Amino acid sequence: MSEASKNVVLSVKDLEVTFRKGRQRVSAVAGISFDLYEGETLGLVGESGCGKSTTGRALMQIVPSTGGEIYVDGAELTSLSKKEARSLRRKMQMIFQDPISSLNPRRRVKDIVAEPLDCWKTAKGEERDAIVYDLLNKVGIDPAVYGNRYARQFSGGQCQRISIARSLAMRPRLLICDEVVSALDVSIQAQILNLLEDLKKEYGLTMLFIAHDLAVVKNISDRVAVMYLGKLCEIGPSDTLYAKPAHPYTSFLLGAALEADPEIEQNRATLSGEPPSPLHPPSGCRFRTRCPFATEKCASEEPMLRDIGAGQQVACHYPLVGSHQ
Amino acid sequence: MTNTETPMIPNEIVVEHPEKREPIGLFTWICVGWLAINLGVALLTPFLPIANPKEMISMPSMGMSLDHLMGTDSLGRDLFARVAWGSRISLGVGLGAMAIGFGIGGPLGMLAAFRRGKLDVALSSVMFTLLAFPSIIAIISILSMWWPRSLAKIILVVGISSVPLVYRVIRAATLSAGSKEYITAARVLGAKDRRIVFRELLPNVAPTGLSFLLFGVATVIALEGVLAFLGLSIDPNTAPSWGNLINDARQSLNDTPQNWPLIIFPSAILCLFILALNFVGDRLRSYFDVTEVKL
Amino acid sequence: MSTETNQNNNPDEDFLVVENLTTTFNTARGPLPAVGGVSFRLGHNETLGVVGESGSGKTVLSRTIMGLQPRTNVEVGGSVRFDGHEIVGATEAELREIWGTKVAMIFQDPMTSLNPVTKIGKQIGESLHVRLGMSKDEAKARAIELLTLVGIPSPEERYEAYPTQLSGGMRQRVMIAIALACNPSLLLADEPTTGLDVTIQAQILNLLDELQMKLQMSVILVTHDLGVVATRTDRIIVMYAGRVVEMGRTKDVFKDHRMPYTRALLESTPRVSNPSHTRLKTIPGRPPNLLKLAEGCAFAPRCSRATEKCSQERPNLEPTGTDGHYFACWNPLDNQSAPVSSSTGSTKEFGEDNVRS
Repeated sequence: MSEASKNVVLSVKDLEVTFRKGRQRVSAVAGISFDLYEGETLGLVGESGCGKSTTGRALMQIVPSTGGEIYVDGAELTSLSKKEARSLRRKMQMIFQDPISSLNPRRRVKDIVAEPLDCWKTAKGEERDAIVYDLLNKVGIDPAVYGNRYARQFSGGQCQRISIARSLAMRPRLLICDEVVSALDVSIQAQILNLLEDLKKEYGLTMLFIAHDLAVVKNISDRVAVMYLGKLCEIGPSDTLYAKPAHPYTSFLLGAALEADPEIEQNRATLSGEPPSPLHPPSGCRFRTRCPFATEKCASEEPMLRDIGAGQQVACHYPLVGSHQ
Repeated sequence: MTNTETPMIPNEIVVEHPEKREPIGLFTWICVGWLAINLGVALLTPFLPIANPKEMISMPSMGMSLDHLMGTDSLGRDLFARVAWGSRISLGVGLGAMAIGFGIGGPLGMLAAFRRGKLDVALSSVMFTLLAFPSIIAIISILSMWWPRSLAKIILVVGISSVPLVYRVIRAATLSAGSKEYITAARVLGAKDRRIVFRELLPNVAPTGLSFLLFGVATVIALEGVLAFLGLSIDPNTAPSWGNLINDARQSLNDTPQNWPLIIFPSAILCLFILALNFVGDRLRSYFDVTEVKL
Repeated sequence: MSTETNQNNNPDEDFLVVENLTTTFNTARGPLPAVGGVSFRLGHNETLGVVGESGSGKTVLSRTIMGLQPRTNVEVGGSVRFDGHEIVGATEAELREIWGTKVAMIFQDPMTSLNPVTKIGKQIGESLHVRLGMSKDEAKARAIELLTLVGIPSPEERYEAYPTQLSGGMRQRVMIAIALACNPSLLLADEPTTGLDVTIQAQILNLLDELQMKLQMSVILVTHDLGVVATRTDRIIVMYAGRVVEMGRTKDVFKDHRMPYTRALLESTPRVSNPSHTRLKTIPGRPPNLLKLAEGCAFAPRCSRATEKCSQERPNLEPTGTDGHYFACWNPLDNQSAPVSSSTGSTKEFGEDNVRS
């Protein structure tokens, strides 16, 4: 791979997350592996229930991973003691989908942003205030006017800016964004996406950007990974993957995306049916029940993620594009 | 289409969030004032220039006069003094019992909701079993057997019997606050349990707790009235509670029906006090409710 | 399914005429004009898209057209004439006559619009039974027919299902079946696919298209998503702060828009066809507070072309010359081809907070 020389910030190996639902077991994430290189943004797309949010939460250890390894700057997160893991997590931060509910309505904005500093006791008094002022300015919230207000007085877009400021207070290496713009209006969404791009450059962040909106993900990501029913289907550089999807699922997903342009002929050949229940995933390739190209091999043998060139990897026995030049 | 119900103003069009809450309102302030007066009297009774409530200082069953604002009872004791001293007992029972209820039920409820899992299952099974048992019967039977009765015993019995109720309310409030994303966010930021409980959970549980506390005090004061009525409260001759006064009046009214202030004053003050507590509690709840759409 | 239902005697006439419609909520902090004077016409078999961000009044507009506004604390002015009926000021009984049979609505969240404790078959059959006086058996047969029509697999089984047992996409199909039960001639769809996955969204939109053709309905599609209206509508209304700022044939509005807001909205939408890291153009500030609307154009504080006149005088809808294309702007954009969406430089940013406190 061409990125081999780059630093790997996050490396995920065979990550599994299994929930218990009564006596049944739901494997929300069923063994996924990927690397995240320093300074890049990896987009993680998929439909609801595919396990993309669970992946993000497992990386932050909000939900326990039930298998696999997570390496952050070379240190394995899941085998560490609680205390060591907590300390390692300083390098990782997360921003959540619901901007309003992720801020405590009864606390003041400047205290919310200072929360990580207070938790880790890294800055006090004037130094703390200076950091908070700087962060709020960076995200476009005037600290002199808004610093003392309560979180409940802000709109969704503003709340998301405050969340971003808070996540940056500890100067993390890795930022996990879970559907951070999906609750926002188009014009506000564009503001937040541009803000993230700018802050990423300024703070040298590495980002994992989880979202369901294909256009948003393409816009912000260097590489994109596609998930279906707990597995990775395909991963590759954004432009290549969107231009030449190798996995049939990626192709259908892109075909269903609606472009704000009346002259683009929309692909009406939509994917029929709905994803099967993760309680009873199909054998072999998990997409085979909806895939028009599925054969017996797809049912009996699970396709592994393999290189098809140009940094693109696909988990399909019959990829749509053979290989790149 | 069967569904014609629409919210008054769709959330969609609430563009700007209000910076100030709706003002408390004059009526609520009047209620607060009334509560404050009662509390003040209860605290300061020994120092107030009022008659000895146990002393027969005048003719029995005198009507209202400047000397005796509410008249005297059938034994010639000053009713105003008795009502004032009574507030000490009634408020004492109300606040004392709730202090026990919240002191035990509150932390347990928060702990169960915060830790969840086995601890929650264990605590909740015990508490909910206790809740299923009619507490009024338990209170009556324990008090009727535990002799001699004293203020402390009444407070203890009523207080302990309120623990499961407080537990349930606080646990539910904590569960609801704990399911919010900001708790996850705090944990991810590196906040330890203590910090999450005191900085994130407590401020969001406290308003619910506070308004429930006021309802609880009101309920206990009324309950004490019931106990006194049944003759299960403290000895009315040592120190009368409001409930005792009403019970006394009921008995003596048969002989002197013209002395109606005897029953009207204690009843009115008891009712108004409970009413004010409930109003203030309700107003506090909506005042602190950040989710309510205010426009 | 009969196709001759609701065919007006005069097909040339617009069968929905909305004139100067206003919806004002009386709030504790003063009147809130959620819809401030909207006029448009809709012909038979036409699909009209209503686009706007939160607070633009698009949802309130659709509810007002349905006659769904409560009587208290809401003032509705102007007129909505629908197939010979006046909706504004109509009594509950008059409205009940047309709801379902003439005009029906589907909502964004099918879970809250469906009764969770009633089987879906019964919910569909109810209006058939009550409205059309069908017998229980007839209603059941028709309900199953409707479930088949909206593409629900094994409809006999699903007839017995409760809403919670269905996925979001299936629930929206059930909502559509309920809406279509009594052959309405106008269907109002308020964000029908918001919250659904892209592949399911495509299925639902295709279904609506198909049904419109089959059943000869007019459709009003209310959405915030420009992608949804781009290829599925004949005409579009763009709303901002309760008013129509641009209206016209879909292609004209997308390719030859005159109102700066329309362009700004299009330019801030990320596109799959653009290369990654395409800088999005943003609109500074945020939508105005409807309680404190200024005299002039509501978009003026956020508009890069705004002049003094814009903040003093409100522009009216003016025709562009192209058939049915109107815009409300004092400094309209030139007659132009498509905006270059893959531009790089950014205009104003981080402006959300410097407009008003």
